[in-house]
Amino acid sequence: MNGAMVIYILGSVLKVEAFFLLFPCLVALVYGEAAGRWFVLTAVLSAAAGFLLAGKKPQNTVFYLKEGCVSTALSWIVMSVVGCLPFYWSEAIPSFTDALFETISGFTTTGASILSDVECLPWSILFWRSFSHWIGGMGVLVFLLAIIPLSGGSHMNLMRAESPGPSVGKLVPKVRATARILYMIYFGLTVVELIFLLIGGMPFLEALMISFGTAGTGGFGVRNSSIGGYSPYIQWVVAVFMVLFGVNFNAYYFILLKRFKQAFSMEEVKGYFLIIAAASAVIFINIYDRTMTAADTLRHVVFQVSSLMTSTGFATVDFDLWPSAAKVVLIIIMFIGACAGSTGGGLKVSRVLILGKSVRRELNAYLHPKSVKTIKMEDKPLDQSAISSVGVYFTTFILIFGVSFFLISLEGNDLETNFTAVLTTLNNMGPGLAKVGPTQNFGGLSVLSKYVLMFDMLAGRLELFPMLVLFHPLLWKEAWNSGKRRRAIQKNKR
Amino acid sequence: MFAKDRKQGKRGLNIIIVGCGKVGASLTEQLYKEGHDITLVDRSESRLRSLTDMYDVMGIVGNGASYKVQVEAGIDKADLMIAVTDSDELNLLCCTVAKRVGDCAAIARVRTPDYSDEVSYLKEKLGLAMIINPEMEAANEIARVLSLPAALGVNSFAHGQAEMIRFKIPEGNRLNGQKIMTLGRNISGDILICAIEREKQVFIPDGNFKLQQGDVVSFISTVKAAKNFFERIGIENRPVHNTMIVGGGKAAYYLAKQLLEMGIAVKIIENRRERCEELSVLLPNATIINGDGTDEEILREEEIAYVDSLVPLTGIDEENILLSLHAREVSDAKVITKVNRNSFHNLIDKLDLGSVIYPKYITAEAIIAYVRAKQASMDSNVETLYHMFDSRAEAIEFRVSAKSDVTDVPLKDLALKDNLLIACINRSGKMIIPGGMDSIQTGDTVVVVTTHTGFQNLEDILK
Repeated sequence: MNGAMVIYILGSVLKVEAFFLLFPCLVALVYGEAAGRWFVLTAVLSAAAGFLLAGKKPQNTVFYLKEGCVSTALSWIVMSVVGCLPFYWSEAIPSFTDALFETISGFTTTGASILSDVECLPWSILFWRSFSHWIGGMGVLVFLLAIIPLSGGSHMNLMRAESPGPSVGKLVPKVRATARILYMIYFGLTVVELIFLLIGGMPFLEALMISFGTAGTGGFGVRNSSIGGYSPYIQWVVAVFMVLFGVNFNAYYFILLKRFKQAFSMEEVKGYFLIIAAASAVIFINIYDRTMTAADTLRHVVFQVSSLMTSTGFATVDFDLWPSAAKVVLIIIMFIGACAGSTGGGLKVSRVLILGKSVRRELNAYLHPKSVKTIKMEDKPLDQSAISSVGVYFTTFILIFGVSFFLISLEGNDLETNFTAVLTTLNNMGPGLAKVGPTQNFGGLSVLSKYVLMFDMLAGRLELFPMLVLFHPLLWKEAWNSGKRRRAIQKNKR
Repeated sequence: MFAKDRKQGKRGLNIIIVGCGKVGASLTEQLYKEGHDITLVDRSESRLRSLTDMYDVMGIVGNGASYKVQVEAGIDKADLMIAVTDSDELNLLCCTVAKRVGDCAAIARVRTPDYSDEVSYLKEKLGLAMIINPEMEAANEIARVLSLPAALGVNSFAHGQAEMIRFKIPEGNRLNGQKIMTLGRNISGDILICAIEREKQVFIPDGNFKLQQGDVVSFISTVKAAKNFFERIGIENRPVHNTMIVGGGKAAYYLAKQLLEMGIAVKIIENRRERCEELSVLLPNATIINGDGTDEEILREEEIAYVDSLVPLTGIDEENILLSLHAREVSDAKVITKVNRNSFHNLIDKLDLGSVIYPKYITAEAIIAYVRAKQASMDSNVETLYHMFDSRAEAIEFRVSAKSDVTDVPLKDLALKDNLLIACINRSGKMIIPGGMDSIQTGDTVVVVTTHTGFQNLEDILK
């Protein structure tokens, strides 16, 4: 393994994070908050560590999938540890475990919080919480790819490890240009949402933070009632933008290129809208009972469905009180998640489509055992290895889910709490049901449960495998052995 | 939109390559290193994947000749389409479609002998920028080396008016330990030493450069001047009268045809009976032997020990290398080895194989020279560009269209960059190998050899 290159990337990530940490400093400066100095201190430390690690570019920049996975997983862990320091030091969140949980939840765009009262927190702390959603939404390494030229080696291995979705396609031949286009779309959409929220009369900083939360499909609110306390106009704006950020960004690129036909004929995007519409309809019929006007009910239903489908996790009502049929529909769409190539989490619509199609093929094979059928996605034939990798992904997902479920259950909470706590973190959603429902928080869980859920959040954000590779014993054994061999060779030379 | 790469300061071209075989792969590698935006098209996903994993390029699965696939690959924004699939017809169709759909230059690989005589007709009628034929290019290079056996390699240069010739200084040669300055006209004559490779490093020599045995020297001259030069420095340059070719593929056909025209007797050993019969129809004057060319007994029977030259052209690199080593052992024939794959380049260089040529490399070089000239000609006056020593040095041909700081000044008064040499000046069809008193004038074309890269204008040669 090319350890020098992994360290170089870690250093670069720290430098980028130091830069990002300057924004909350700015907020603290504007509002004259004491928490600002902790941000300055963290930024300085992060920058120092960054320059120490990434001072000199290694000579061998060759980079394989292995290095891509390891540096991505390590980057996210290091980033979260550094990012939680201001919370911890400023005593906004006095426990280190809680601070780390909150930061990981921020960067992985989960939005699961351990805080019961956010309205008493300083603005800079709230800003950093929401900003971490925006940073984590598109990915730090994608940002890195967009700004620093990593010559030689295969950049795709970095992008592949961080981007959501079964297959990572490029928009243009160069990774760097692709990353820039993605960030441009991301940035542009965020600004548009910000403008819409400002029109709705929201204060600037609050609008900015809500935009960050929507853009990254994160879900940290700035009020205790999440989005529930805002006007219907703002709720609709947030709902629409949550849906938009859950769309595969390739579609926006096609729109930018004025290839509208191609954008609107994307199978995954069509499926995505269809599922949102269907789920909304079912829940609407299920919960409509004249205690609210039809318009209000519709708004709440669409808001909750798009929030959970895109794994954002904002809420306007306590959906924990809905009838169980509605809750089951919510749980199903939580599993499905957003489109690949968006900022959302979950299994991804494209994977679900592929799984559905292979089930149908299998069924047909019982009727016509000799039939030959190729599964197509976006009008292109998929080869068997792509299909089976989706199957393996699903199995791995269930495995991690099962193990986490068991570990959480040790604590003794009810089944619904345990089940949705794992579901909501592994899919980067935010609130679950029962004791981790939209009006509750994760603060009451044990330390063990919190660490398990932290792992789930990271695994879910990085598409499971990079995190698992990091903990694969063989990787470290091989790295150790080849390191020993290299040192021996160097010694012999001398 | 983002194609401008700041580091390079110049725009990379949008290039679509159809076909990811050996030539496609080596083109991808080289063009990627030059900073172009490359989109690959191939039917096989696994072949695409292996390339997109290695290089920062985009891959599209599909038939490159289809309109839909070309649009997906961004033909509307492409500057160049290169079709190098296995099939000549598909390549031509790809380029034809591309020319109609997008506004781009097109290069096709056409290598079947059926079309080889019609290449210029096809190129003109289909509006192609280039038609490449790796087998023919390889045969041409082999033929050039056979006509000058003392050289390791001979490249046509400056539109065929001069040759770039490479040779290795043998042990105990009179050049060993000489400074270039002291060679004087009585030794060097009308040749110009322009680059030297020593222990993997490339030098552009000045007068004080001391030559050593084992150096690989590149010089520019005409074939005639080169022959005289080899004679003067005492390197044997025995003309070749007959050649034994092992393997009867396309390259063997092209080579045999050329050699026969040059009056060199050709003997081809080919394993397959049908191919032998085909060859005997195509090449009535050649001796065609049906047998296994890797069988020592057959080689002995065909008197390998007494041939002037041997060219193994089987499809398998390992066989070619073994045959060459065998020939070096049992005879003193001039041996030229063809190596298809680029792997283990260093190892092959260490073997005592004499001249080695890489057909895939020759093709890739030709295309890259075209691409660089195309890229450069957008905003500069580069005419053509040649790579030497695996692109570690470049020879660039500039057209001098207007007066500038470098014109009408004697060369000795110009403050030139280090590692740079003005190799020759072409003034109204006459080649001048310049001395210190010569000057560049408007209307000339000037060839500059340098290890610097990225020259856009002739003024770039100044410090």
